[in-house]
Amino acid sequence: MKEQLDQLLQDALREIAGVNSEDSLQELRVKYLGKKGALTSLMKGLGSLPADERPLVGQMVNTVKSQLEEQLAEALTGVREAAKRERLQSERLDVTLPGRRGGRGTKHPVSLVIEEISEIFGSLGFQVAEGPEIELDFYNFEALNFPKDHPARDMQDTFFVDDNILLRTHTSPVQVRTMLKHAPPVRIISPGTVYRCDSDATHSPMFHQIEGLMVDKGVTFGDLKGVLTTFVNQYFGKGTGVRLRPSFFPFTEPSAEVDIACVMCRGAGCRVCKQSGWLEILGAGMIDPEVYRHVGYDSESISGFAFGMGIERIAMLKYGIGDMRLLFENDVRFLSQF
Amino acid sequence: MIITYNWLKEFVDCNLPAEELADLLTMLGLEVEAIRHVGGGLDDVVVALVESKDRHPNADKLSLCKVNNGREILDVVCGAQNFKAGDKVALAQVGAVLPGDFKIKRSKIRGEESCGMLCSEKELGLSAESSGIMILSPDLPLGVPLFDALGLKDTIFEVGLTPNRSDCLSVVGIAREVAAKLGKKLNLPRVDVVEAGKSVQEFASVTIEAPELCPRYTARYISGCTVAPSPAWLVKRLESVGMRSINNVVDVTNYVLMEYGHPLHAFDADRLDGAKIVVRRAADGERFVTLDGQERVLDASDLTIRDARRGVALAGIMGGENSEIHQSTTNILLESAYFNPSAIRKTSKRLGLHTESSHRFERGADVNILLIALDRAAALIAELAGGSTARGVIDEYPTKIISCTIDFRADRCNELLGIVLSAQDIRGIFESLDFEVMECAPGQFKVTVPTYRVDLEREIDLIEEVARLNGYEKIPVTMPKARVFSDRPTRHQRYERQLRSLMVGEGFTEIITFSFMSPAVFDKLLLDASDPRRNVVRLRNPLVEEQSVMRTTLLSGMLETASSNINHRSLDLCMFELRRIYQPVADQELPHEPLYLAGLITGLRRPAGWGEEKLPADFFDAKGVVEVVLDAFGIPAVTYSASSVDPFYHPGKSCVVNSSGEILGSLGEIHPDVQDNFGITQKVYYFELNFEKLLSKASPRVTVKAPSRFPDTFRDIAMLLAEDTPAASVIGTIMGLKIREIESSSVFDLYKGASIPQGQKSLAVRIRYRSSEKTLTDDEVGVLHRRVIDALVKKLGVSIR
Repeated sequence: MKEQLDQLLQDALREIAGVNSEDSLQELRVKYLGKKGALTSLMKGLGSLPADERPLVGQMVNTVKSQLEEQLAEALTGVREAAKRERLQSERLDVTLPGRRGGRGTKHPVSLVIEEISEIFGSLGFQVAEGPEIELDFYNFEALNFPKDHPARDMQDTFFVDDNILLRTHTSPVQVRTMLKHAPPVRIISPGTVYRCDSDATHSPMFHQIEGLMVDKGVTFGDLKGVLTTFVNQYFGKGTGVRLRPSFFPFTEPSAEVDIACVMCRGAGCRVCKQSGWLEILGAGMIDPEVYRHVGYDSESISGFAFGMGIERIAMLKYGIGDMRLLFENDVRFLSQF
Repeated sequence: MIITYNWLKEFVDCNLPAEELADLLTMLGLEVEAIRHVGGGLDDVVVALVESKDRHPNADKLSLCKVNNGREILDVVCGAQNFKAGDKVALAQVGAVLPGDFKIKRSKIRGEESCGMLCSEKELGLSAESSGIMILSPDLPLGVPLFDALGLKDTIFEVGLTPNRSDCLSVVGIAREVAAKLGKKLNLPRVDVVEAGKSVQEFASVTIEAPELCPRYTARYISGCTVAPSPAWLVKRLESVGMRSINNVVDVTNYVLMEYGHPLHAFDADRLDGAKIVVRRAADGERFVTLDGQERVLDASDLTIRDARRGVALAGIMGGENSEIHQSTTNILLESAYFNPSAIRKTSKRLGLHTESSHRFERGADVNILLIALDRAAALIAELAGGSTARGVIDEYPTKIISCTIDFRADRCNELLGIVLSAQDIRGIFESLDFEVMECAPGQFKVTVPTYRVDLEREIDLIEEVARLNGYEKIPVTMPKARVFSDRPTRHQRYERQLRSLMVGEGFTEIITFSFMSPAVFDKLLLDASDPRRNVVRLRNPLVEEQSVMRTTLLSGMLETASSNINHRSLDLCMFELRRIYQPVADQELPHEPLYLAGLITGLRRPAGWGEEKLPADFFDAKGVVEVVLDAFGIPAVTYSASSVDPFYHPGKSCVVNSSGEILGSLGEIHPDVQDNFGITQKVYYFELNFEKLLSKASPRVTVKAPSRFPDTFRDIAMLLAEDTPAASVIGTIMGLKIREIESSSVFDLYKGASIPQGQKSLAVRIRYRSSEKTLTDDEVGVLHRRVIDALVKKLGVSIR
């Protein structure tokens, strides 16, 4: 019996050592340890042994059994490790093949600019206000101190619906509507679509503006410079030069054009800034008392400023777009780049 | 407005480099849009003296000269004969490049060394023709570049003027600003009119019958003139500011126009009937030929200058053909008048006749410059065209225009600008601008502004002058000391932004198309004659007919965009537009401008990957996006109904989207005819939703259900049912049982085909059961599932497969 056990152990160990797959190991387990396995058969022979030998042989059987189980488990681990190593060795992807994806959507650059600028002014406490695009002459011109038959009206080529109704030429009527509705303090920006009857490489009959308005006690021209400088530094990068120079808008006095140091050449002079080092991006100024008169504000007790900029111009500078028409051709090869 | 530096320097002592002057003007609000240097590049052509002139030993027609350029004596061979030793000439030295890229090199001509070339005016580009070389005035300094010596070097500034600054529409006006900024004096030319003979009243009379349109009219009479071409200096100067030379008399009026900014008009006095000038409104329907040869039809709002019998000029805009200066004119009546700005503007606009003159009058001329400009022009005409100026002037001034006096507070000025200037500093600024300042109390002034500053009427206008002259750059950068209040974006704005991001997340590209469209679009979209979308806001002055009405649907822009992209071989498109449409509202002045969402899918459902099936998009891709949107807005009780859909859809593959009986929008496959009308050759799926309605229905979910911790069980039902029974009624029947344990039910297969009886379809539904309280047993689920099957059989007559 002892010899048989030794023999069985030897055979089994040899066989285990010679096997390298999980399935073969499973077969060996069945062969030796299964219900009809070799060790099980031997154990059935235990009963025929003399009673005094039984404990000793029984112990031997158990030792062999646990030895086999241990070896099988070890071999299994080894085989699995080897198989995993083999798999990791052999499985290879061409990772340069494209990923499987849904289409990526993009916002229109005009929307992107409006959202970003609104966010910056939002952080300064300016709320977004909107108004109609088809507008009354009163809000678009009259209340903004563009009297009828005044040459200032030539600054804006207007689409008319009738004598009194027009497509707004700027987002400034929203200022008027807001001030008529709310007493100061007022702090708004109004992004929106505007129209002028002009169409060429640098003019589109429809374009977008964002306009800001702040009215409160003691607001100064210096504050206008401060707010605009903050905006320019946030949007175009810290340290971007800002220059205000005198200009004229009927609804502001004093008025200013606002230039920033050219974002292409950093002020050195290039084609984009026509060698001046400056790019005009904004019109601004202190609100004209005439506007206050139209909305019923007392120009002696409050003061304020307004500013406005063309979204397309900003988008063109920001993204290096050379031709404004690209923005409205809606070619997905262009739009998908944003 | 174009000015030249040399001209400017006649009025103000300024030696800044051109770029610095441009910067100074720009920072004064007179934006220099372009600078051009003229007469440059010929620095190697210098003034030289011919020391000796001898015959060339080897050529009869050439001479051998010794020429002194101020530093050395050079040998130069010359072919011209029109000069002699002792003449000053223009020497192109070795290295010079003459117009036409003609390089001057050291050379040997017939065996003799030549170190340069003596130039003619033609060779220097100074005239079209010339005979012989240029002989210079003997007092020009030796060795100096010729163009410097002749004052031909100049810088042209193009100044973009804002409409308020009519005072700067002249060289003097701009010089005045420069003088004020630099603290210099403005030097105006001294004018001496030499009068002779009879008084002007004996030659002409002026009657103003419309004093409200013509407050002042002045005139002089010059007799015995000779109309001739202008001298070169005058021609050059006018050309340098972009004006064409006509003749010496007209050129003088234009010269004074550019110099002082005041438009003048010269009449041929002999062609004025009755030697009379009458200023009067035109008769309605009166016809008048302006000197551009155009016949104009006038009305009573137009002001005319007339003689005894007829109109001779359209006041302040253009003279008449019948009285213009011509070759044989000898006697001239020179007009210098002031006209009402808005009247000039009205006439000029109505007639579409914009001139240098109308440009200035409509912006506001200076009533006090009239006589100065008149005298300046009379003196120049007398000088250039001969003639003698009659004694005295005609000066009819029925409507006095007085200078504006404005109360000004230094405190208010500092407060508004955020600066600290002393009253004295401010006074200095005003005085530099020639304003009269009277201090009535400390820091309080009465400021009288000159009549040429028509833009200054109020304190705020003076505050701007202080800011401008002191320099915007000197105003400190501060942040407002504002009152704090919070106003978050409105619900409308938040949802709009969320929707835009959602669409992008769904893989859609945002487009922005024009808000205008062509009225021809409605037929292309197959809309009925009575369709409300045909009711549009129409533009009175569209650029083109294709952009003549405001859109009432986003569809046409979307289809046009799809078409052009497909033409560029972008065949797989997912696009959206979230913009306004414009709907006229009865009894309201302004139309309704609701925000709409439109989406379009065509081509492949998603970008074709490698090794996978290419799936063309269909109706359900469009519907899926609509469902996501409605879900994101929390729209309750959504139904999709296939009846009464828009005519631009495929009638069998489209539907209307409702929520609680209200139409939110529609979706479907675009009708093949519409596709054809837009030149699209592939199937297109479209949807549109009224954002305003979505917003009114939107309900943010405020309560959530904690997910059950117990396992789920699902049961599938395959059933046969009538082909026209909508899937929604199967799901509706199941969910209508309101069995708490049914977590969800969804269609997972639809089959029609050979094995299915005619008129029927096979639908497979999966129902997921789960309790929030315990693990459901098979038996419990079985009981619930039986109820579901019974209901389906009883209500919809399905047969279970």
